[in-house]
Amino acid sequence: MTSEAVDPDRIGPPVVAEHLSKTYRLGELLRLEDTLRTVTRRATARPLLEALRGVSFEAYTGECYGIVGGNGSGKSTLLQILAGITLPTSGTLTVRGSVLPMLAVGAGFHHELTGRENSFLYGTILGLDRQVIESKLADIAAFAELERHFDTPLKRYSAGMQSRLCFAIAMLFPANVYCFDEVLAVVDGEFKDRCLAEVRALAAKGATVFFISHDLEQVGTLCDRVMWLQDGASREIGDAESVIERYGRHVAGVPDA
Amino acid sequence: MRIATKSRLRPVQLLGYKPIIRALAGRDLKSRYKQSALGPAWVVFQPLALLVAFTIGFHSVAHVRTEGVPYSLFALTGLVVWTYFQAVTMGAVGSLVNNYALVRWTACPRMALPLATLVSNLPSFAIPAAAAVIAAGIMGFLRVQALLLPLLFVWLVVLVATVAIVLSAITVRARDVLSVTPFLLQVMLFLSPVGYGTSQLSPVLRTVISINPLTGLIEAWRWSLLGIVPSTTAVVISLALTIAGAAVAWQLFTSLEVSMADDI
Repeated sequence: MTSEAVDPDRIGPPVVAEHLSKTYRLGELLRLEDTLRTVTRRATARPLLEALRGVSFEAYTGECYGIVGGNGSGKSTLLQILAGITLPTSGTLTVRGSVLPMLAVGAGFHHELTGRENSFLYGTILGLDRQVIESKLADIAAFAELERHFDTPLKRYSAGMQSRLCFAIAMLFPANVYCFDEVLAVVDGEFKDRCLAEVRALAAKGATVFFISHDLEQVGTLCDRVMWLQDGASREIGDAESVIERYGRHVAGVPDA
Repeated sequence: MRIATKSRLRPVQLLGYKPIIRALAGRDLKSRYKQSALGPAWVVFQPLALLVAFTIGFHSVAHVRTEGVPYSLFALTGLVVWTYFQAVTMGAVGSLVNNYALVRWTACPRMALPLATLVSNLPSFAIPAAAAVIAAGIMGFLRVQALLLPLLFVWLVVLVATVAIVLSAITVRARDVLSVTPFLLQVMLFLSPVGYGTSQLSPVLRTVISINPLTGLIEAWRWSLLGIVPSTTAVVISLALTIAGAAVAWQLFTSLEVSMADDI
């Protein structure tokens, strides 16, 4: 995407979403019981779930965009669509440039492989060249502070160590848009601070960062703007401080002003 | 610029999958024999055990005709095709659902997962193939048509890839495929001329067996390695089924892959 680095503002924001909706069917996709019902023509349609309802937003270069909301409010679904992992049921999404999704810690890791082997595997899945990974192996181990454990199978790692490795590899990937979904939940304070500084640096270098967390303080210090999702609809989009304040009051049970 | 819509995968894009296929195959190879006493030696035992069983069942008991070729070499040539077909099918059928996290949370190209099993199971082809070529050479069966073996390998790969991507894609929607595949493979083994030849079958039965795409392929391998004249009908039917099957498989997979993260 080198040609797009010329003048980012003239071609519009890197991420534009218009009326994104995503509908799922509740329950199981196939069951013997349902098969029999279909055969005997007594099938009942499974109820629908609207995971996203008409969400519209745009995000700019150099922006950290926070997404807050309760469990099941559609945050992860939104990032899955952003990353091109799933398609919206309706609505349009335009993304300029490459997207790095980090939606679950360890997706792409194999527990029998060592930290080093997993760095190659996960890096390749993200789209990195073998040579690039090879040259950055020492940096990955150093950033994750896992030098001593780099040749140990991943199954011996703690959850925090896996998060560290995952984050360290993802940071190598030069993308235009980054998506982080609650990936710093199990790491310790020191590493968390370093990661947040790295994320901030990505945005400063002109990337667009989407960040989901239930840690409102984290979202508040990191993000420029925040979207509050409720039952799949965007209830509010605005500057981080005010949206988080109102969302925090809502979570605490204080009646809406 | 990417606009999130249904855009079908094009065959040329597969070239870009190469690094990921290699990485996934490497992962499978490295992890397959961890905490295993015999490890890679199992690749030898599986076709060897079948060869012994076939020699007893088809040769000593059923007295299968082999057109002047020693029975073990005759059966080994069939096993070159079968062992790879079976190994890839067994590996590919769960290749998407066993990588739930990759499908659900990463943009890892979906087709790379079943295709990686073609690479990680290459030893299951290479070992019986090397044994068969060496044995055919020593016993003096190799003729000029042995030069066509690379083409026959490509044919085998296309057929196996077709089965791999179809089964893995349907499994995402219906796990029934996981239950039915081992059983279907057992049936297939006896409906394919792996341990026997088709020349002594009745014309009707020969036609029925020819509908199996493996039949013409195995006969082509036996012609190329051992000089046994194949049934042209079987070869033509198998070749046509392979090409048509690959086209259908491509359509099926590319139409299912857009919703795999939701269906898995």
